[in-house]
Amino acid sequence: MSRIIVVTSGKGGVGKTTVTSNLGAALARSGCTVALVDADFGLRNLDLLLGLEERVVYTALDVLAGECRLAQALVKDKRLKGLVLLPAAQNRSKESVQPEQMKKIVDALAKGYDYIIVDCPAGIEMGFRNAIAAAKEALIVTTPEVAAVRDADRVIGLLEAEGIDNINLIVNRLKPGMVQDNKMMSVEDVLELLGVSLIGVVPDDERVIVATNKGEPLVLYEDSSLPAIAFTNIARRLQGEKVPFLDFMAAHDNLLTRIRRMFGG
Amino acid sequence: MTSESTFSIDITDDSLSPPLVARYSQVLLKSEGEKLLLILPTEQEMKLNLIPWSEVWQELKHHLQGKEQSWQAGSSVSLIARDQLLDARQLHKIAETLSEVELGLEWVYTSRRQTAVAAAAAGYSVEQQSSHPQSLVGVAEETKSLVLEEPLYLQNTIRSGVEVRHRGTIIVLGDVNPGGAAIAAGDIFVWGRLRGIAHAGAQGNRQCRIMALQMEPKQLRIADMVARAPKFLPDHVEPEVAYVTSEGIRLAKAMDFAKTHSYSKEVEGWKDSF
Ligand SMILES: Nc1ncnc2c1ncn2[C@@H]1O[C@H](COP(=O)(O)OP(=O)(O)OP(=O)(O)O)[C@@H](O)[C@H]1O
Ligand SMILES: [Mg+2]
Repeated sequence: MSRIIVVTSGKGGVGKTTVTSNLGAALARSGCTVALVDADFGLRNLDLLLGLEERVVYTALDVLAGECRLAQALVKDKRLKGLVLLPAAQNRSKESVQPEQMKKIVDALAKGYDYIIVDCPAGIEMGFRNAIAAAKEALIVTTPEVAAVRDADRVIGLLEAEGIDNINLIVNRLKPGMVQDNKMMSVEDVLELLGVSLIGVVPDDERVIVATNKGEPLVLYEDSSLPAIAFTNIARRLQGEKVPFLDFMAAHDNLLTRIRRMFGG
Repeated sequence: MTSESTFSIDITDDSLSPPLVARYSQVLLKSEGEKLLLILPTEQEMKLNLIPWSEVWQELKHHLQGKEQSWQAGSSVSLIARDQLLDARQLHKIAETLSEVELGLEWVYTSRRQTAVAAAAAGYSVEQQSSHPQSLVGVAEETKSLVLEEPLYLQNTIRSGVEVRHRGTIIVLGDVNPGGAAIAAGDIFVWGRLRGIAHAGAQGNRQCRIMALQMEPKQLRIADMVARAPKFLPDHVEPEVAYVTSEGIRLAKAMDFAKTHSYSKEVEGWKDSF
């Protein structure tokens, strides 16, 4: 049975597309077949992050309009066999697609791939409705910021009302130093508020931005980095593996704070 | 350390008074004898209050989840659609939602011919309102009266963006998150953390109280009074109750409240009976 997962957040710019591309690459590398669906009509950029922009010929809209077959619109990844992308049209608005149409496409993809991962646009309007139409489970991406968490909470409520209750949380762009200085919400704070299960924590790291700009998912780099390990671990947990969480706080801890904690201070 | 100074909310802004609330749950679920009645708002009620269908929908789901244990699996439901235009798809969605909590849609009462036709075509028993049984009309009308409804029992967290309104007492078995709101004509009990907005006695009853296992609200409202949250949270948490006194809204330990406080009609507030 294939799995249909929507990556969503409510708030924009928190890392949905980054998560989608890295998870897709990590899953494909471990031997799964993966179709990534860009549901961000009008502002597509999943193709950019995957470095596949120049290979895009058709989009989901062309499939819906009967201009091409679904298989023709799928862009094959240049590095990984088993990874394909269904691009979104850039020149149309989000209103040009209906949830039922989206569902038809995704259900068709589910016949041929182990994982269908849908990259959702920001917001909770039509684009969101389209992206969640076929989803059976959801990955909520949030940064440890009050506004992002508030939006994540809202989105979780909407997903639950639609009957999607297999919901996992990714906390992205954590800065352990700031958490320690009480300047940023901790992962525990976020979890306590949202009340859904955690599937991964990704630290804030420049290398994520560098990889984004190069169009190469970070998880595919030769020398591994903390964020790359974090993304890979999320992919493993998705597949049911029990992987211990990286302890960014411990890595950041210095002797003094450890002594202080020993004395309960 | 007196309980007043530890627990009182630091600012009670009397210049602010919240609007009293006249609008409540749009959807009602009632049992009448063997039958369950699902009552929809009228078209006019929805238009007047600018309520979109999606909201009616979310409310219906809340009601169903909250009351799940109050009926037997397989019970049949009569839909009181009033003057709503429902097509086959909407009827199907309602039936599907009911079936998730093991209820079956059986009867559809409507005053609209199109709805009656769609319902009949979908295989439901239909009755147009002209021949509406007296008892059912009675129930639908009664919802307009000032008498409080039975408590609304919610078994999930009220998340950001969700506002639950009920013409009665609200019991939340979960949290009220920041950005969420519970608005009740009666009392509000939160069996969890209260971090959003709670408005008890929303029709003007100052006797109503708000209780929470953990009080961290952005704002508390009781009847026509507002209190903002204290800047500093107490370092230990315990169940607290918010109530109206002659000086504004105050907090006290929930444990002793019933024994130590009584309501005074003259001052329109609660008094410490010691
Ligand atoms: N862990 C991280 N560390 C540093 N930068 C990051 C991290 N995750 C994402 N970013 C950066 O944040 C920016 C926004 O990321 P991304 O495009 O994935 O967000 P999005 O949620 O898809 O945005 P939108 O809502 O616009 O679709 C990008 O420049 C990306 O490189
Ligand atoms: Mg994006």
